[in-house]
Amino acid sequence: MEPVVSLKHLLFTRGSFRLSIESLELVPKKVYALTGANGAGKSTLLRIMALLINPQRGVVQFPGITTGDADHLRRQVTYVEQSPYLFQGTVSDNLAFGLKLRGVARQEQIRRISLTLSIVGLEGFEQRKAKELSCGETQRVALARALVFKPDLLLLDEPTANIDVNSRPAFEGLLARLPKYGVTVVFSTHDRFQAQRIGAELLCIRDGMLQAQDTLCLF
Amino acid sequence: MNYLSDSLLAAVVLIFSFNREVQLAVWTSLYTATVAIIVAAVFGVPVGLWLGLKRFRGRRLLITLLNTLMAMPTVVIGLVLFGLFSRQGPLGEFGLLFTPIAMIAGQTVLAIPIVANYVLACVNGADQRVIDTARTLGATQFQASIQLIKEIRFGVMAALIAGFGRVIGEVGVAMMLGGNIRGSTRTMTTAIALETSKGEFVFGLSLGIVLLCVALIVNLFLNMLQQR
Amino acid sequence: MLRLFSILLAVVFMCGLFSPVVAAERLRLATTTSTEASGLLAELLPPFEQANDCKVDVIAVGTGKALKLGESGDVDVVLVHARSLEDQFMAHGYGSDRRDVMYNDFVLLGPPHDPAEALGTNDLVEVMSKIANSKVSFISRGDESGTHVRELQLWQAAGLVPQGSWYLEAGRGMGEVIIMANERQGYTLSDRGTYLAFKDKVDLKMVFAGDQRLFNPYGVIMVNPARHPHVKQDLARKFLDFLTSEEGQGLINGFQMAGEQLFYTQ
Repeated sequence: MEPVVSLKHLLFTRGSFRLSIESLELVPKKVYALTGANGAGKSTLLRIMALLINPQRGVVQFPGITTGDADHLRRQVTYVEQSPYLFQGTVSDNLAFGLKLRGVARQEQIRRISLTLSIVGLEGFEQRKAKELSCGETQRVALARALVFKPDLLLLDEPTANIDVNSRPAFEGLLARLPKYGVTVVFSTHDRFQAQRIGAELLCIRDGMLQAQDTLCLF
Repeated sequence: MNYLSDSLLAAVVLIFSFNREVQLAVWTSLYTATVAIIVAAVFGVPVGLWLGLKRFRGRRLLITLLNTLMAMPTVVIGLVLFGLFSRQGPLGEFGLLFTPIAMIAGQTVLAIPIVANYVLACVNGADQRVIDTARTLGATQFQASIQLIKEIRFGVMAALIAGFGRVIGEVGVAMMLGGNIRGSTRTMTTAIALETSKGEFVFGLSLGIVLLCVALIVNLFLNMLQQR
Repeated sequence: MLRLFSILLAVVFMCGLFSPVVAAERLRLATTTSTEASGLLAELLPPFEQANDCKVDVIAVGTGKALKLGESGDVDVVLVHARSLEDQFMAHGYGSDRRDVMYNDFVLLGPPHDPAEALGTNDLVEVMSKIANSKVSFISRGDESGTHVRELQLWQAAGLVPQGSWYLEAGRGMGEVIIMANERQGYTLSDRGTYLAFKDKVDLKMVFAGDQRLFNPYGVIMVNPARHPHVKQDLARKFLDFLTSEEGQGLINGFQMAGEQLFYTQ
């Protein structure tokens, strides 16, 4: 099976910070958990894969997705920040943003928005004002906004950091179900046990390097 | 001194008498300022966005230049464009001097730095995540910029209102490039200047009050739009 | 946002609909503030505009600037009052036709208590010397207008070079200068028309008038089409003809302000 994304000979430096990845391939419809200490480069790696920043050296390829320029690829790769920004307007406006860019018809937009909101557990939130949501709701709307256009690769930066402890199990369950919808997920986390609960494959960054996948990741 | 109260009274009379000359002057002011501000938005908003989003060598210098342009006296803008539009100037063959088009051009030049500066301030004040968020959802750089404008639309609106206020209230450009021609390029401000030079202070001041009322109505209207 | 934009567009569209209907042809006339502000042109132009189905765009500035506009070809006709400058203009070939239209006169204005004791003096040169010697403020137009040019000629005739803290060059129009003279309670030179318009608004009186050297003739000049081919020469010539015709001259003689005739024809 062709990998969704493959990184080769990657080097990114900024000041004393250094991230170097010789080779990494992610297979489709799996969940990956990116772990590592604070400042290890989890967010940087996610942002590189999201094509938001360019590495000094090396290539990021998406063999399993379409070919084409970065603007094309961006349509299939999406990234949700740790504290996501919601656009002004309603929840529905936010979800419609990606759909409009992809030329989805109005009726289909409404159907998919309602479906995706129910997947993240926010049925009937369409007309709520985005700026008036709680932290957890904001996080889930951001996730729905990314899911609604069916990306191939979904990158999440500490998605559970802003979700209260009681809602976490539901959210983790949701992450675990995502591959069913055809999505490959990479999320960063501090919590190794969370990765186990979700059944995610561990990717561990230490000393600016990706540790061998079979070694025990300690930090 | 009952000079001010006389003016107030005269203004009320003027507004309700529907004097044709005054109507025309109000109309010319509104029409030229509106067109000028739309054109200024077309140029000023992208400039403000560009300076706010891109980081490049010479950016700070450009911003300083833009701030300086805001301080440019209207008469200087008038002089430069006068030289451009005069029959002796490079654009002379079009015969634009002393037409509303020349006035609109001058007012546009006047408004662009204001609009650009306000938009720049808005972009700097906007949430830094807007562009990245739009990009990760599949937007091109251009589409992301459009989304940013939507997010800061109140600020952009304020920029246009500020520019409009400056343009409708200025007299230098309108006088030099328009020529204060009755029924053609006579705006409220040049009419006020004329009445003052004729010693008709009360009439001039009452025209000023009319101008204020017009500006108030325009701002109320724009405010109403923002509420929606 | 889109709605807002469409509303703005609609406004602009309406602008186009309601903007005054453009007349078939426009004649550009640069003239002095005295003819426009006195209301003479409002009497004089409509009959001409009707007869020729045109619109005369009046740009009211000082004589110096009016001639400059003619020189650069930004207007078709100039109506001014500074014979020396007009002759220069013609000599340089900027104008193709010049005609005398009318005249009025200049008057010297001063404060009612007349500190320079100008009143009662019969000789213009003496009046100018008295004003200069009294060191009471004199407000000069200082803007190369016809009035300014004349004022300088008067000082020259009196063999004086006006300078010092009493001599104020305002650089403004006639009306503003009269108001300044009033506020400073000083002297100034004004055309009779503007003075009449301001008579009731200021506390100034006429201290000298009636000298030959205060004679103020107005001339109309057609900008030379050989230099500026875009000049509307047919219409401009018609305008010159109209001003010097019986009808035009009659209108000028009949024009009154505050019960007084302002302009006279030859």
